[in-house]
This record gives sequence, C-alpha cells and structure tokens, in this order.
Amino acid sequence: MNPTGIIQAIQDNIARVIKGKPQVIEMSIVALLARGHLLLEDVPGVGKTTLAHSLARSLDCSFKRIQFTSDLLPSDIVGVSIFNRQKQAFEFMPGPIFANIVLADEINRTTPKTQSSLLEAMSEAQISFDNKTYPLNQPFMVIATQNPAEYHGTFPLPESQLDRFLMRLRIGYPSPEEEKKVLDRPQLLHPAEELQPLLATHDVLLLQEQVDHVLMEESITDYLLAIVQRTRQSDLLSLGVSTRGALALSRAAKALSLVRGRTYCLPDDIKELAPIVLSHRIMVARAQGLRQRSCERAERIIQDLVDSIPVPV
Amino acid sequence: MPFDQALRFASIWLASTSFIGLTLGAGLPEWLAALTGAALILALLRNAGGKSMGRLATYTLMSTTGWNLLVIVGFLGFWVDMLWVSGELLPAGVHFLIILMIIKLFNLKLRCDYLHLYAISLVAILASGSLTTDLWYLPIFLLYLFVGVWTLLLFQLTKHPEEPRILTMSVAMRPHPLASVSQITPQFFWLANGLALATFGLTLVIFFTIPRVGAGFYQKGFGENIRTSGFSETVNLGEIGPIKRDPSVVMRVELSDSLPQQAGRLYLRGVAFDQYDGKAWTNRLNYRRAVSEDAAGTFVLRSSRSLTTPRLGDTIRQNILLEPLDTPVLFAAPFIERISGKFPSVQSDLTGSVYLPFPSSSRIEYSVLSRSNSLLPEDLGAEPGVYPESVIRHFLQIPSQPERIAVLAKEITHTQRTIYDKATAIHSFLTHNFRYSLDAPLAAQDQPLEEFLFTRKTGYCEHYATAMVIMLRTIGIPARLVTGFLATEWNEYGSYYVVRQQDAHAWVEVHLPHSGWITMDPTPSSIESIGSGSLAWHALGRMLDTVRLQWGRFFVQYSAADQLAVVRELKAGSTSARNKAFDSISTLFSPFMAMFGGMADYVSKGTIQSLAEVLVPTLIGLTLLLWLGIRWPWVKGRISKKTTRDEQVIMRLYGRMIGHLDRKGIAKLTATPPLEFVRLTQERWSSAGSAVASITELYCRSRFGQIPPTREELSLAEDHLRDLMTLEKP
Repeated sequence: MNPTGIIQAIQDNIARVIKGKPQVIEMSIVALLARGHLLLEDVPGVGKTTLAHSLARSLDCSFKRIQFTSDLLPSDIVGVSIFNRQKQAFEFMPGPIFANIVLADEINRTTPKTQSSLLEAMSEAQISFDNKTYPLNQPFMVIATQNPAEYHGTFPLPESQLDRFLMRLRIGYPSPEEEKKVLDRPQLLHPAEELQPLLATHDVLLLQEQVDHVLMEESITDYLLAIVQRTRQSDLLSLGVSTRGALALSRAAKALSLVRGRTYCLPDDIKELAPIVLSHRIMVARAQGLRQRSCERAERIIQDLVDSIPVPV
Repeated sequence: MPFDQALRFASIWLASTSFIGLTLGAGLPEWLAALTGAALILALLRNAGGKSMGRLATYTLMSTTGWNLLVIVGFLGFWVDMLWVSGELLPAGVHFLIILMIIKLFNLKLRCDYLHLYAISLVAILASGSLTTDLWYLPIFLLYLFVGVWTLLLFQLTKHPEEPRILTMSVAMRPHPLASVSQITPQFFWLANGLALATFGLTLVIFFTIPRVGAGFYQKGFGENIRTSGFSETVNLGEIGPIKRDPSVVMRVELSDSLPQQAGRLYLRGVAFDQYDGKAWTNRLNYRRAVSEDAAGTFVLRSSRSLTTPRLGDTIRQNILLEPLDTPVLFAAPFIERISGKFPSVQSDLTGSVYLPFPSSSRIEYSVLSRSNSLLPEDLGAEPGVYPESVIRHFLQIPSQPERIAVLAKEITHTQRTIYDKATAIHSFLTHNFRYSLDAPLAAQDQPLEEFLFTRKTGYCEHYATAMVIMLRTIGIPARLVTGFLATEWNEYGSYYVVRQQDAHAWVEVHLPHSGWITMDPTPSSIESIGSGSLAWHALGRMLDTVRLQWGRFFVQYSAADQLAVVRELKAGSTSARNKAFDSISTLFSPFMAMFGGMADYVSKGTIQSLAEVLVPTLIGLTLLLWLGIRWPWVKGRISKKTTRDEQVIMRLYGRMIGHLDRKGIAKLTATPPLEFVRLTQERWSSAGSAVASITELYCRSRFGQIPPTREELSLAEDHLRDLMTLEKP
C-alpha cells in the first residue's frame, strides 16, 4: 500500500470518532509525520483528548495520558529511582513519558518546574535522570491540551516551551449536523476504543523518513523565508518567528505534501500551514489586543502577513 | 558536477596550465617545479578527494600570518634572486610569480583569492609567451584559453548564490532562481567549449590583422644557439665525428624552382680549408670582405668566379631556414651567386664561403641562387701542371708527412694520365677500400691520416676527404677540404630537406684548369639509413616537423610587413599569393581581410559618411549579438537539466491560462498560491474548474516538483486550454 493510501486510511479511521473535523485530523497526522508535537488549545469538551487517543489507537503505538495538575512533580512524568534491596542499588522506574504518544492534558495547570521537565523530552527525545540518559521510544509525540477560557490557577506556558510545539490547533465546535451524529452514536464504549490499529511503529518511522525526501524547490524556501522575515519586521508583533519556527514550517510543509500525496511542496502548503505553525511562536504587541484573545488574534495577524507576500510563480 | 566544485577544478587547472607553460618556457629550477607540482596536486586532492584526503590537505595549512610572512620572505627572495642568483629581472620575477602561485593555491578561500590566482596565471602565461616562440606553446596556450573561458564562465555563474539574499518583491517573483541550475549540463559544456573556440578564431583574425611589435621579445636571452663544429677557422681532424650523432635540426631547405630529386642528396657548403698541418685544417684565405648589395637588397658574389673562366652550370634556387647556430657561416649549395635575406650585411672570403658579421641568435631565413661548376669536356684531357700561381700557393700545400702517402698516391694514379682520371682513381680507391664508421679514432692522435690510411682503414667523412685532398696534392693536383652538410632527409609533406647536426659532412673540391672547383665526395654513401625504426613513426615525425616549420614561419616570424602584404594582396583581389600556405590562409580569412581592407579605405578617405556606412552595420551586428546573448536562456543562468523545453511549454500554457482568466475577471493576486487559485476559480466559474485544475496540476508538478511533463500530458493541457478559451463565462 502506498503512503498516501495508508495516510488516508488513518484519517478515515480517526474521522469515525472525530466527526466533521477532517482538517484537524489531517494536521495531527502532519505533526506526527514531521516528528513534531501538537498543542491543542480549545475549550473543554470538544474532543481534544479523544483526538489524541484515537490517533494513538490507529497507530499500534503505546499511549500514556498524564493529567497535569498543580501538584504534579517532574518525577511523575519522567520516572523515579527506587532502591532495590536485592541488587543493593537504585533502579530507574520509567515514568509515563516512555510511551510513543503522550497526552499531556491541561498542561497549563501544572507548575513551570514540571512543565519544563517535558522540555528535554520534547526536543531531544531523551530523558536525563541521575546522570544517565535514557532514549525515548520512537516515534515519540507529545500532544498537549490547554484550556484558553479559564485562567485561574494556571501557569501559561513560557515562549521557549511553546516554540517546541510544531503546531497549535484549535478544534472548535462541530456543526449541528456533525454534533447530531456524535449524539446518535451508542454511548456504551469510548469511541476510540473501537478503533483498530492500522500502522505499526516501524511503518510510522518509515513514513517520517519519507518526509525528508519531499522536494522543496528553492523558490518555495524563499517564499517561506519571506514570511518569516515579515513576522520579524511587522509592527503588530513584538516577537517574530525564530529559526526553529522556520524549520518547523518547512518540515510541516513537507509532511503535508506527503499527506496530500505529493513528492514536492507547493506554496499552498506553506500558506495553509503558516497560521497554525507560526501563531504560537510570536508575541502580539501590547497595543494590539488583550491577552485572552491572543490565540485567534495571532492567527489573524499571520494570515494577513501571508496574504501580503507574493507567491512564487 | 556542481558549479562551485567545477569552479575550483577549473581554477586549479588554469594555474596548472600556466605553470606548465612557464616550466617549458623559462626552465624553472627543479625544486621549484617539484614544489609547485606538489602544491597543484595537493590542491586538486583537496578539491576532489574524500574527507580523509581533505583533512590531510588542510593539515598542512598555516595561519594567515604565517602565509603573509611567507609572501614577505618570497619577496625578499625575489630581490636576492634578482641581484645575486639569477642576476636578471625576468627569471627572478618568474620565480617569485611561481611562489606567489603556490601560496595562493593553499589559500583559496574567498572569491577574491580565485581572482588573484587568475591574475597570477595570466601573468605567467604571458611571461611564458614572451620567453618562447616554440611550437609547444600553441597547445599550451590553447589549453589555457579553453580552461580560462570555462573558469570565467563558472566564476560568473557562481557569483549570484553567494550574494546576500534580499527578499524583495522582485526576488520572490523571479520565476527561475539561479541556484536551482548550478549543475554542469551538456548544453553548458558545449557552450563553454564553443565560446573558447570562438575566442580562438577571433584571436587568429586579430593575429593576422592587428599590427604587432616584435615577437619573442625576451627570446634572445634564453634561446640557446645550437653548438656545432667544423666551421671555424681551424678544424681538428675528427672534430665533426661527435656531432654526427646529434639529431637536432640545423636548417630546412626548400628548393623553389626545380622540383628536386626527392631521394637525392644536396650538398650544403659551409667553409673550405686550404692548409693542413698533419692534425688540423686551417683556412688561410679567411680574409672577409663585405659583399655589395644591389638595389633589390640582394647580395651578389663573384669571388668564386674570378679564379677561373666561368662557364655557366646548373642553377639551384634555395630557400633556407637556418636555426641559430654558434657559427656565422651561411650554408648553401655550391657555389653561391646571389643571396638575399633579412640581414644588414654579408661577408665572403676567398674560397667562396659566405658569412654573417656575427652568429645570429635567432632563426634566419634567406634565399640563395647557386650555380655549380660543370665539368667541361676540355678538362677531361687536361694534365697536371698548368695552374695559376694563386692556386698553387694555397692548394698544393702538404704537411710534412711520411713518404708512404705520396707513394700510395703515385701507386694508385700512375696508370692514369689526366687530372680527372687521377682524381677519379683516388676517389674510387678510397670509396672501395675503406670502411665507414663513426667509432673512429679520436682527434688527439699523432698522425690521424696515416692511422686511417694504413692501420685502421676505418673512418668517416673527414678522414676520407682529408686523405683524398692530401693524396691529390702529393701528385700535384690542387684540392681543398670543404665542410658543410649533406642533406638527405626529404620531407614530403612540406617539400623541403631537413638538415640535422648528424648530416654534417666533409668533402673535397678539386680544381680543374677550365671548369674550376669540382665537388667530389670520396666518402661511401653508406650512411646508416634513417628509416631503421618504424616507417610510420618517421612519417609522423616529418609531418610534425612540417607543422613546426609553418608555425615558425607564419606565426613567430609573421611581421607587420607580412600583414601589410596580405592585406594588400587581398585588396587587389590577387590570387597569386606568395606561396601555398598564404593562399590557404588568405582564402580562409578573405572576408575579414576584405572588411579590414575596406575599413582601411574608408578611414583613409576620411569622409564621415562612408565611415558611418561601416559603423552602422557594425553597430547593428553588435546589437544583434547582444540581443541574442540576452535571449539565450543559458546566459541568463536558466540552464538546468530540469528546465527542458517541455517544461517551458507548460509554464507558457499556465501563463496564458492566468492571462485568460484575468481577462474573464478572475484575477490571480500575487499572494494567491496555485491551488488556492484553482479553488477560487472553481467557486466563481465552475465549468472552467476542471481544465484549470488539470493545467495547474501539471504546472505545479513541473515547476515545483521538477517532474517534466510528458508529451501526451502537454497536448492534453493544450486541449484543456483551448477548451477554456472557447468557454463562455456566465
């Protein structure tokens, strides 16, 4: 089966659970193939956890869920050393981070100390504990969720950590028709539990490798850089996109091309991905609006910027 | 191969070519040549070799300060070299240049370093050009030209990607960024070579039309004369022997009117000797007087005629190209009557030998009219004893030899009565009873002649000739020894004799009362045949020699006067060019020459109108060339193995589609990517949607995916576009 077919099958698989959100499903797969992490930011109850769960179920991957609370400690994520009486030595007991897909639920509810313990894991795909380094399982993907509506008792993620997420998605409410389909479904079983795995971990790695071979023509790279450059010069933004952001956009565009069955990138890929890949990496200037609405606001600004940049012909 | 790597390669090759030129031209010291060779190889390895090689090569690098110090040391060395070691500016400069080149080779980092290397190479190739006029310079220079064109092309083409990217609107809009094409394609390959060839052609035209200063300016200081022997005032017996094994070319002789005996022999007379002291020959009649010149610049000799009553014999007209020798003698077939060439004066002595005032340091060309003395019938019956005093005084001298030579001579000739018969008898005696060998006794013997005649009976031309002269003199017949060359090697490709050092020869001139001096050669013609090796090889050698001769004649010695002659002849429309080669060259270049001549005409008339008549077409031509140059896609840097013709077709199709949709009111904004535009079109004009989608898909695939479309796809796209054109927008 060709990559496009497999990817389409996974999308269809997830779509059986998440109704009416094909774009979100597609993007979560893009994040997976681009070896990136996903930040789902939306109000509670629109299917953030379900999306993560069904993605993991479709992939024959190990899946762990960590509910972030204000008293969560780093060792609850990474693991602990326990003294083994027989061996007279400390033994490392791996934490929930040693899974292929980790759902970090309500990530902004925990302390910065615990949040930052995720940092190394997300960027290096490894854990350092007691002067030892433990590689994480591959593929490794963190899907974090956070609730933008409620700010009491939260610790907003610092910029450095936000930058480590490949993209930030908003799921949004489904349309009434789709919502009706959800309600019509038998409620006995969690919908994600019905899903059958379609892809072995090994195949996921192969697909991730194929992303590297997607061709990005020079003019498209120029186009991408022009967008990044514009965010740094814009008066609306107090912080532009970093080089890591440009890299992320490039990788995501390649993955999206693969998902759409192409071996080359198009300007469309860049344009479509720019808001969701770049919006959480920028800081909107103070004068431009209130913090609460920054999510949509940032996406809007990025969209406007992209609309002013000529596309390579 | 990517452009930047190719550029590094080409640069190093350029340096190598100029270095080879210098090595051949200037004769670098071995250590310097070896060092440079090593540096070049190292530079190549650094470029071509794998990572390990690269690391090995970079290991030898010094800091910048170290290199700078080295340059200063090299500069000091240049002064030392100039003042004490070489003692001259040019060789010292060449050495310094080479050292600079080595230093640059290790410091090829920035683009300006490459430029410096090119400048050094250029100076080097120019220096070697001024140092030599040999034929090998031609291939080296051609190679330099080719590599140079390549290098500069690549240098220009690699220029853009290095420049900082300014992301302006225009850059983003530019359809074909240059860097996508930084590969050497077949098109590019042939273009570069074609340009080099065109440059060479242009250079050739310029060579024949633009006046120049003297060629090989510094050649004098370096060209070494061929050392020869046997043509000084005193010649020891056996002196010619050693040079009889030297194959270097001494001269080339063309026989202009009478097409000669191709396999025949041509005696080229040098010097005659009258006195023999038992070991060495001396020319006592060496008082030289200047030969008078007639109005046409021809020197006319009569000295050899004055001794006897002249009776006209056969004339031979020769064109001789004489290599620089260490003797001022001018060689020609006996006996010279008229001689003309590019020399200010000519001297002759009483034996009829002709000299320049001093040995020429460069190759000279001269033409000679010779007239040999024929044997007159009345001499066949003449007996010895009736000679003028001047002849007897000089040409009957005998050294204090043992009597047995005289006895032997009498014994051989006692049955003969006439001078001629006696001479013939001695001639045949020597020819038949002695063995020719170059492993002859050394010159330092006490009695070389006796040794030859009675003991060894082995010798070469000098021994034969000396023996014959002395024997003739003992029986009262005046004779003298002559040295020169015996030309036997006929070059059928250029129709001339090649005369080499090994053709040096000595023979006899016998004086007959009526005929004068008659040439006789007692040496048996058992000279080893030259064609002992493979025949084809020798034919190739002769062919190469012809090329070398033409090179010398038409390129090295091609002077302003020759140019003028060519132009004049062409202007007159005369087909009687001076010789064949000029003919062919002039036909090849006649259009240019005619243009040149015409231009000269206009300029000399000086009327502005006629000048404009020349200038306007020239300008139009230049503009056309420029336009072509801009139109050529590869000049713009659009070459790519991916940019095929088909790809350009689909680009054009897409462009037409966009234009058409624009006219229909669906404008593509600059910020609209292709697929989004398809959606936009489908929303606003659904019937056109499928056609637009398929054309866009094909366009995207070849433009961004670099997958060239097939012919079928292209024709399908064309059909789609045609359908689109006919559609009516609601």
